[in-house]
Amino acid sequence: MNKNIQLIQINFIRLVLTLAIIFFVLTLFGTSPISIFDSIIYGSMGSYSKFIRTLIVWAPISLASVALIYTFSAGMWNIGIEGQIIMGAVGATFVARSFFGDTIISPYVQILFALGFGGFWGLICGVLKVKGNVHEIFSGLGLDFVASGIVIYLIIGPWKREGIASTSGTDVFDKASWIPTIGQNEFPLLLILIIFVIYIFSFFIFKYTSFGLRLKATGVNEDAAERFYFSSGKYILLSFFIAGAIAGLAGFSQASGAYHKLVPSISGGFGFLSILIVLICSRNIFFTLIISFLFSALIVGGSQLQIKLGLDHSLIGIIQALFVLSWLILEKLKLEKILLSKIIRSNE
Amino acid sequence: MKIEIKNISKKFGNLVANSEINISINNGIHALLGENGAGKSTLVKIISGQIAPDNGEILIDREKLILGSPIESINSGVGLLNQDPLDFGNLSVLETFLVGIKDANPYRNLKQTKENILRIFQKYKINIDFSQKTKNLSIGERQQVELLRLLYNGAKLIILDEPTSAFSLEQKKMMFETLRSLTKEGIIIIFVSHKLDEIIELCDTATILKSGSVIHSISKPFDSQDIIEKMFENTSSKIKRDKTFTNENNFTILVSGKDFLGRNTEDIEHRFSYGSVIGIAGLQGSSNDSYIKNFFTNEFSKTKLVLDSKVTIPKKTYYYMPSDRIEKGLFRDLNVLEHFGLFKSSETRFLNWNKIKNISSKKIKKFNIRANFSNEVSELSGGNQQRLMLSLMPENQSILLLEQPTRGLDFNSAENIWEMILSRKSKDIAIFFSSTDIDEIWEYSDIVISVSGKSIVNINYKKELTKDKVINYVSGIV
Repeated sequence: MNKNIQLIQINFIRLVLTLAIIFFVLTLFGTSPISIFDSIIYGSMGSYSKFIRTLIVWAPISLASVALIYTFSAGMWNIGIEGQIIMGAVGATFVARSFFGDTIISPYVQILFALGFGGFWGLICGVLKVKGNVHEIFSGLGLDFVASGIVIYLIIGPWKREGIASTSGTDVFDKASWIPTIGQNEFPLLLILIIFVIYIFSFFIFKYTSFGLRLKATGVNEDAAERFYFSSGKYILLSFFIAGAIAGLAGFSQASGAYHKLVPSISGGFGFLSILIVLICSRNIFFTLIISFLFSALIVGGSQLQIKLGLDHSLIGIIQALFVLSWLILEKLKLEKILLSKIIRSNE
Repeated sequence: MKIEIKNISKKFGNLVANSEINISINNGIHALLGENGAGKSTLVKIISGQIAPDNGEILIDREKLILGSPIESINSGVGLLNQDPLDFGNLSVLETFLVGIKDANPYRNLKQTKENILRIFQKYKINIDFSQKTKNLSIGERQQVELLRLLYNGAKLIILDEPTSAFSLEQKKMMFETLRSLTKEGIIIIFVSHKLDEIIELCDTATILKSGSVIHSISKPFDSQDIIEKMFENTSSKIKRDKTFTNENNFTILVSGKDFLGRNTEDIEHRFSYGSVIGIAGLQGSSNDSYIKNFFTNEFSKTKLVLDSKVTIPKKTYYYMPSDRIEKGLFRDLNVLEHFGLFKSSETRFLNWNKIKNISSKKIKKFNIRANFSNEVSELSGGNQQRLMLSLMPENQSILLLEQPTRGLDFNSAENIWEMILSRKSKDIAIFFSSTDIDEIWEYSDIVISVSGKSIVNINYKKELTKDKVINYVSGIV
């Protein structure tokens, strides 16, 4: 218990230090960090509708992040996460365009298909790794390209809008295929429920099941697995399947929650962003939940920068990169530990 | 040449690694003895400049050595030969040599440099092809190249940190000859080792360390029993063993004909009684470890175990313990408790950590593991890692497959490990272990399997063999 409290303290100090670095660099750019953060906070959480927009961005990022915890635990670099998100969106679109599309059960069937499509796409990586000894980074990157290719083919081919073939996307789904929402501001209750169920489920898996422990063990030392009477290959395959399936849900959220159609860059780079988030959080599930929200707020609020301050939107990219790099450097330096021990000593 | 170590002290936090160490060596080969954690490595690191002491000084030929700087130590003629060769596997032998020599720009006059290097190889009668990649050499040959490099650089004091742990008998003999000829040239050698027989054979003087202090300085002739008593004062114990133990049940080792030296095609069956301790002897680099592992994985050969009941032995009956503890046997970043959890994971889907904690605290006590639940195994000492692996042995009747169970452990830890292993004799079907140390095989086995290269040379009860026979068998002499 004590260790957990210390971990939270260390991460809090690290967060403050990271923000200080970002403030400093922004000042160097001749901008006012305070007004930038003010407009980001206003832009992402300034009103109920803005908050909901943030949630819609948060959903795929948080889902992709928790998906990556599974593969990272098994020691795998799941670069194929983007492709898995895309295939999940394809699965959801497939259902939305089928005869289910205008029925009330459409979103729930979409969930199943998104899970299946994404899981299948992840499993390809896993099979190539375990059976073919293909490094997961190569196969993942390749499958990302294949998935984008499939989407573009579908959009200008079989699923093109009537009369026009444009890369702006498919027809908008029937309203019944949209993710169900509540109230006038369209609070995406189903999506939020899915996120929390998956996070709690994952927490339970990693903390209290043999499966989770074996997954972690596989990531540390594949060679020793056999000695403990399990096959590391099986756990690598499962980790890719689960990660792919959860990433598929992120695709479902993008297709039926954000765009309401299939567009070429449906994954929005959220998969790669999630890799950074999980690295920052060292696979800690609760930190992942929080940090992924911070990044979503940054993305949504960042769109306000141009309107309010006349600054370029790319500044958000700089802030993100600064955040990740300073965080990782601070982690290496172990500065917080020294600070913390100083604080504790001065209190005594 | 004379080296004087004066009042060297070093603390790491609260841990005293060296305290007021005084050693003076005039010539010859000097042994540094002590159990794991006695402070040998710290002292070696201080002499070679890798760490600076808190106090004290070192004089080489009455000149003060500037401490805490590897370059200063090298320039003063100190050469360190590491336990594992620190070289560049992907470079050729010549390139490896060139990387670390004192010549400012060896490539400018490569021909001349090459001749110089060749001369030193010839002088010590070492035949190694320069152009092959370093990684293709055996560990022993790599150590020899390293030693020559130190000599080329003009080392006057050479420290060998457990150099022979990976040597074959023959390599050891050659190395010892080289070392003796060096002392005739006035070079001082400090020899760090656990192996008493080597020290008795090779060294002229010795210092015994315990808990960071010098407790005895002794010189030739050595008495091994006396040294052991001094090293492990009030800890020496002989293991109690149940010699009269018998068991009516039998099992069979079905040795594939292909595994026998000479490759006669007929398979051979050997029947032994339950509870036998079977030592698989072999020189370094032979396949004795592979035979141990093979009972578990069946990848190496067709040799296998058959029970009288003829039922196939389930995988969980075996407990396999690899010699490479941290690389193959345990999970570096997982903590002690998680290892116990992992062991439980083959029985249950959900982990009840309270229950696991109860079991593990009992095991930690029983196996005398000096660690907490939350210690990651990479933080444990070799002996504790080994005891942790042993504590994960299944409770019920098993077949233990132990690869070099005491590799790298000091005498006391090794005895301790053997006590735990032998206490399972009456419970288990069989206990297999491999070792390159013939004395260990002789001491603990009931049955000896001698392996030379990839082949099995002989299987027999110990009482029908002699130690010399086993030495011959593992050397390939039938």
